[in-house]
Amino acid sequence: MNPFQLLGTEQRFDLDLAALEKTHRELSRALHPDKFAASTSSERRAALEKAAAVNEAWRVLRDPIKRAEALFRLHDVAVGEDKEPKPSPMFLMEVMEQREELAEARAKKDLAKVGKLGEAMRAKAKATEMKLSNGFAAGTDPESLLPLLGELRFYKRFIEEVDAIEEEAAS
Amino acid sequence: MSNGLLEIFDPKAPPKPIGIDLGTTNSLVAYVKNDKPVTIRDCDQIALVPSVVHYGNGKGVVVGRHAQTLAAEHPRETIVSVKRFVGRGADDPETRRLGPYEFAERRDGEPNVVKFRVRDRVLTPVEVSADILRALKRQAEDELRSVGGAVITVPAYFDDAQRQATKDAGRLAGLDVLRLLNEPTAAALAYGLDKKVNGKFAVYDLGGGTFDITILVLDDGVFQVKSTGGDSALGGDDMDRALAEEIFRLGGRDSKDASPSEVRVVLDLARKVKHGLTEAGIVDVELPFAGARNASFTRARFDQLIEPLLARTGVACRRALRDAQVKPDDLDGVILVGGATRVPAVRTYVEKTFGKKPLADIDPDEVVALGAAIQANILAGQSTDEVLLLDVIPLSLGIEVGGGVVDRILPRNTTTPAGARATYTTQEDNQTGFEIHVVQGERELAADCRSLAKFTLKGIPPMAAGLARLEVTFRVDADGLLSVHAREERTGLEQTIEVKPSYGLDDDTVEQMLLDAIDHGEEDLAKRKLAEARIEAHRVVTSTKKSLAADPDLLEPGEREKIEAALSALEEAAKLEDARRITLRIDDLDAATKDFAGRRMNRAIAKAIEGQKVESVEETVEHAKGVEEAHAWRS
Repeated sequence: MNPFQLLGTEQRFDLDLAALEKTHRELSRALHPDKFAASTSSERRAALEKAAAVNEAWRVLRDPIKRAEALFRLHDVAVGEDKEPKPSPMFLMEVMEQREELAEARAKKDLAKVGKLGEAMRAKAKATEMKLSNGFAAGTDPESLLPLLGELRFYKRFIEEVDAIEEEAAS
Repeated sequence: MSNGLLEIFDPKAPPKPIGIDLGTTNSLVAYVKNDKPVTIRDCDQIALVPSVVHYGNGKGVVVGRHAQTLAAEHPRETIVSVKRFVGRGADDPETRRLGPYEFAERRDGEPNVVKFRVRDRVLTPVEVSADILRALKRQAEDELRSVGGAVITVPAYFDDAQRQATKDAGRLAGLDVLRLLNEPTAAALAYGLDKKVNGKFAVYDLGGGTFDITILVLDDGVFQVKSTGGDSALGGDDMDRALAEEIFRLGGRDSKDASPSEVRVVLDLARKVKHGLTEAGIVDVELPFAGARNASFTRARFDQLIEPLLARTGVACRRALRDAQVKPDDLDGVILVGGATRVPAVRTYVEKTFGKKPLADIDPDEVVALGAAIQANILAGQSTDEVLLLDVIPLSLGIEVGGGVVDRILPRNTTTPAGARATYTTQEDNQTGFEIHVVQGERELAADCRSLAKFTLKGIPPMAAGLARLEVTFRVDADGLLSVHAREERTGLEQTIEVKPSYGLDDDTVEQMLLDAIDHGEEDLAKRKLAEARIEAHRVVTSTKKSLAADPDLLEPGEREKIEAALSALEEAAKLEDARRITLRIDDLDAATKDFAGRRMNRAIAKAIEGQKVESVEETVEHAKGVEEAHAWRS
C-alpha cells in the first residue's frame, strides 16, 4: 500500500498536513463502517478494509519518521535499524553528552533543565527533518540521506525520555 | 403510557432503535423521540435501573431497585456491580476485592472467566449482564412496543476481552447490537449535537466502577477522539469502599472478619453517606453493629479519604493531554459524566486540573444513554444528522516475540477502524508451527500485559531457520474489536481467528447459553433464527439493489447476471422456513458482490479526494481574490 497514493497526494516529504488531515476526514466520512450499517456484508467488509487502510496511511504520513520510511521504501531503500548505516561517531558522542546531561538533570530534579534539553532536541529534530525534506526535493541519492533517518530515531527516543521524566515528576 | 395520555399505536411504525448505558452501578435505556433523545422511565418515573441482579429459588430473576432491597438479606445471591467482573479472569486481583460473593473453581481446560456460585447455579458476568440488558429491553418494549437495534456503551478504556464480553451479553439478551460505543464519545455526541459546539473538549467520566478521560475535537459533526486513558477499576464504588473501611474502623471492627451480609449493609450505608455529603457538610448515621452508636461524617474527612482516588484520575488526565498534544489552556470545555462527578471534591479537582469550570448541564447520569440513543438512531438510518465518530484504541495491541517482549503492532490512540501488518521469521531449523500470542497493554513484557489470545499456525513444511515468513495482520473494527489473520508467505498457509479471548467465551458457549436462556429450547431458537435470517435477507437484498442502481457502470460483463441470479436465489430461500439455507444464499450473494463492493469503495475514495482537491483550488481562488480585493482597496 502506498500511503501517498491512497490519500491522493504527491510523494514528497514536506506535505501540507493540515490539508491532508481534511482529506483524511473526508475519506473517513465516505468510508466509515457506520455509514454502511445498512449495507451488505461485502460492502461493510470492503468499507472496513478501506477505512482501516486510509487510517493507516494517515498515521504514516503525519509522522515524520514513518513518512520518511515510506519514502525510502518507495525508492527501494531498505529501512529498519538493522538495515541502516550506523550513525557517525561524532553524532553518537554528541547524543551521549546530551543524555548524560539529561540523567544529571533528572537526578537533581531540575525540571527546567529537562524541559530545555527537550526543546533543544526538538529543534534539532526539526532541522534534520528540513535537511531530509530538501534532500528528497532535490532528488539527492536517497541512500545518502539514510543517516538522517537514524538521527531522527535518536532524537525521538530522547524526547520520549524527556516526556517520561516530566510525566513521572507530575504524578 | 408513561405520560398518562393515550397514545395511538401505529402498527406499521418501524422498530425503534435504542441506546443503552450498561453502567457499574446504574443502567439506563434511551431513544430518540421527535428528534430529541429521552430516557425511558419505569412506572415510577425513574430512569435509573440499579445494575443489581437477584437470583431467587428456581428460575426467578429480579433486576433493579427490587433486587437492591434483597441484596442485604441475600448477599451471595444478589450480584451488584457485575461490570467490574466483565471480561476478567478468575485470578484477576480486581475480582478478589471487598465483596460478599462466592466464586466457582475453574476447571482444567475451561476458559479463564470468573464465575459466581449462586445457589445451585454457576453464572458468568456475561449472563448476569444479559439479565440486566433483558430488563432494560423489557422496559423499552413497555414504552415503544417494538424495539429495534441497540447501541450499548462501554468505557473507552475497556480492553478487547471486556468489549467482547459486553457484546456477547447483548446477543444473549436477544438484542441486535448495532454497535459498541465508548461512553465519553457518547457523552460528547449528546453535548455536541445539543449545543452545536466546535472545539477541543475533555470528557471526565467517573462512574461507579470505571474512570475514563478522553480528549476529542468536535468539528462540524465530526467527533474525533485524540486520546483516551483511564482505569477500568476505579470509580464511585471505591469511594464507598474507603468509607466502608472507615465505618468498620469507627465501629471497632475489622472488615476482614465481617460476614457477607454485614459487608453488604456497610457498603450500602457508605453509599448513603456519600450521597448525603454531596448536599450537606456533615452526615450523622447509626452504625450498623451490635451495641450501635452514632457517628458523624464530615465532608472534609470524606474528601481526605478519596484524595488518593482523585490523584489517580489526575495521572490519567495528564497522560491523555500529553498523548493528544493538548494543553489544559487549549481546551474549550470539560464535560462531566458519571454519577460520581456529583461529589463536590471531584468537581473541585477537575476544575483545578484543567483550570476551568466543568460543564454539567446535561444530567451526568443520563448523558451517556442519550448519546447512545442518538447514535442508534443514526445507524438505523432514522436521522438526518451528519455525524461521524472517530474513536481510538485505548491500549496498544501487540504480539509476544523472543524473550517474552511485546512487539507493538497498533499503538494506543490509533484511530479505528485500524489495520496493521507485521512479518516474523522462524527461529529454528525445521520449525513447523508458529505460536502467536496476542496481548494488549503498555508494558514491555507480554507477561505484564493482558493476554487476549493464543493460537498456533501449524503445517509449515520444514525449512531452514529464517526462511519461513509469517505475516500477521491485525484488524480492529469500529466497535474496537480485534481480529487477527496469520499467513505463511511461502506456502500460502493461512489462518484467521476472531480473537477468541483467553479470558472470554467462545461462540459455542454463547450459543449454548442462548439455548439455555430460552424456556422452550430448540424450537424457539429455530424460530428466532429464522426471523433474524429473514430480516438480514431483506436488508441485503434491498441494499444490493440500491448499489446496482447507484453504480451500474462499475459492473463488468456478466457480473450483473451473476449478482441477479444470487439475488433471486436468496429471495426464493427467504420464502421457505429454513434459516440455514437463507444464510447460505446470503453468503453466495456476498461472494458474488465482493469485487463490485471493492470497486464501489474505490470510487468513494476517488470522489472524496476529488472533492477535497476542488475545495482546495476554490480556497486558493478565494484567497487570490481576497488578495486582489485587498490590493484594490489599497490603491
